Amino acid sequence: MIVIENLSHRFSSGRLGIDGITLSISPGEFVVIAGPNGSGKTTFIRHLNGLLKPTAGRVLLDGINVTRDVVRARQMVGMVFQDADSQIVGETVYDDVAFGPENLSLGHAEIKERVAESLQAVGLTHLTDQRPHLLSGGEKRRLAVAGVLAMRPRVIIFDEPFSSLDYPGVQQVLRQIVSLHRSGHTILVTTHDLEKVIAHAGRLILLADGKIVRDGLPGDIIKDAERFGVRAPCASRLGLEVSSWLN
Amino acid sequence: MAELTAFSFRAGKSLLYCLDPRFKLLFLILISLTSLKAGSWGMLFLSGGLLWLLPAARLSLFPVLRELRYFLLLLLVVFAARALAIPGDAVLTAKFMTLTRQGLFDGALVCWRLLLVVLLGLVLTATTRAAEMRAAVEWILKPIPLLPAKRIGTMMGLIMRFIPVILNQAKETAEAQRSRGVENRKNPVYRLTKLGIPLIRRTFENADRLIVAMESRCYCENRTGPELMSTRRDWAALLVVASLSFLMLFL
Repeated sequence: MIVIENLSHRFSSGRLGIDGITLSISPGEFVVIAGPNGSGKTTFIRHLNGLLKPTAGRVLLDGINVTRDVVRARQMVGMVFQDADSQIVGETVYDDVAFGPENLSLGHAEIKERVAESLQAVGLTHLTDQRPHLLSGGEKRRLAVAGVLAMRPRVIIFDEPFSSLDYPGVQQVLRQIVSLHRSGHTILVTTHDLEKVIAHAGRLILLADGKIVRDGLPGDIIKDAERFGVRAPCASRLGLEVSSWLN
Repeated sequence: MAELTAFSFRAGKSLLYCLDPRFKLLFLILISLTSLKAGSWGMLFLSGGLLWLLPAARLSLFPVLRELRYFLLLLLVVFAARALAIPGDAVLTAKFMTLTRQGLFDGALVCWRLLLVVLLGLVLTATTRAAEMRAAVEWILKPIPLLPAKRIGTMMGLIMRFIPVILNQAKETAEAQRSRGVENRKNPVYRLTKLGIPLIRRTFENADRLIVAMESRCYCENRTGPELMSTRRDWAALLVVASLSFLMLFL
């Protein structure tokens, strides 16, 4: 579904953000992309829906280059950003979720249906008319997810979804991610904190200095994480199996 | 710092919520213009009407006035300036300043008018979704050539959304600076600069993030807007508002 070939990005300052990344992601995968700050996680994922243009290489979604049809790419690959506050554009919860479908110039009935469906999926139906700045941290993240779901994407990327959240907030968001994966979405999560999410992932990619340094089953490569600046979960350090934060 | 959050939509089910936003904007303009010409009886009549409207907009007078306290201070300045500047029968004379009866009356009337217009604006924003307001502004601006109506509408919506966020950031920044003893510095310019620069920087950084998030959700100007549909109820309301405005001019 997603094929990335020799992808590199150099910033205007001359610094190399990512360097020669090649990989493919199959439909329905749950991939965690981990790496320390500045390893290129965010730069990498922003190429998957055309927010950044590669300096070299290409990203193919179902065989079509992202840069050839950016609108299609953004519909297909939804992105939930780290800072939910600056992602929420509507003055009410409803308005925010409707923003994406409105941009697709859909009809009013279709927009209403998508908003209702998305709010129900994230459990925010009761807050339809609430003002977003009054929501809790976890609710804001779920609203950001609803805004993405209303575009009906097949792939959802979460950029550091657990940052600044308390334990219940992390559980709410994690439950949402797992439920989206179960409903057939391909999930990509970037994080520097494996502890909270790795129990649910089927694949772990470690990034360092803009390059893929490890790619495989979490159980096989998690022991190498600390060599590349990512703290391994407590359980795996003790030689135990990592358990879910939802248990 | 929540002062301006009073100017936000509050969901409700009264008649005010059902009216077409274009009509509501027209009512605001009509009543504001009428209040410029209305005398004290007309203003009393208008104030009574407004007090009746506030609960329908899910607003209570005293909490609203508390949130508008800085605006009330501004009105106080306006009142003092009018009371001292307008010539007439002296009520109080101290050194080079003379308070006149005409000045007091005129100052009170001007402040009353300004307050009523602001409260009417508050009723409008509290009962109209930002998206509807945006659509109404776009509809009004559409016939004007060279004006990017859709872009202006989007900017309006974003301003409404981000005012509380910016106020919260200002509060956070001010608290962080207070915790580092900024209150020991008496120079207001120094304090304002130290608050303003990081706040502006954060606001621009947030604006950058917002642009990326909007692009990620396929932002385009040719978007589906809310349906604007006038009904008999809107025309009936227009008839009532126009008649009362006309009546107010003669009170």
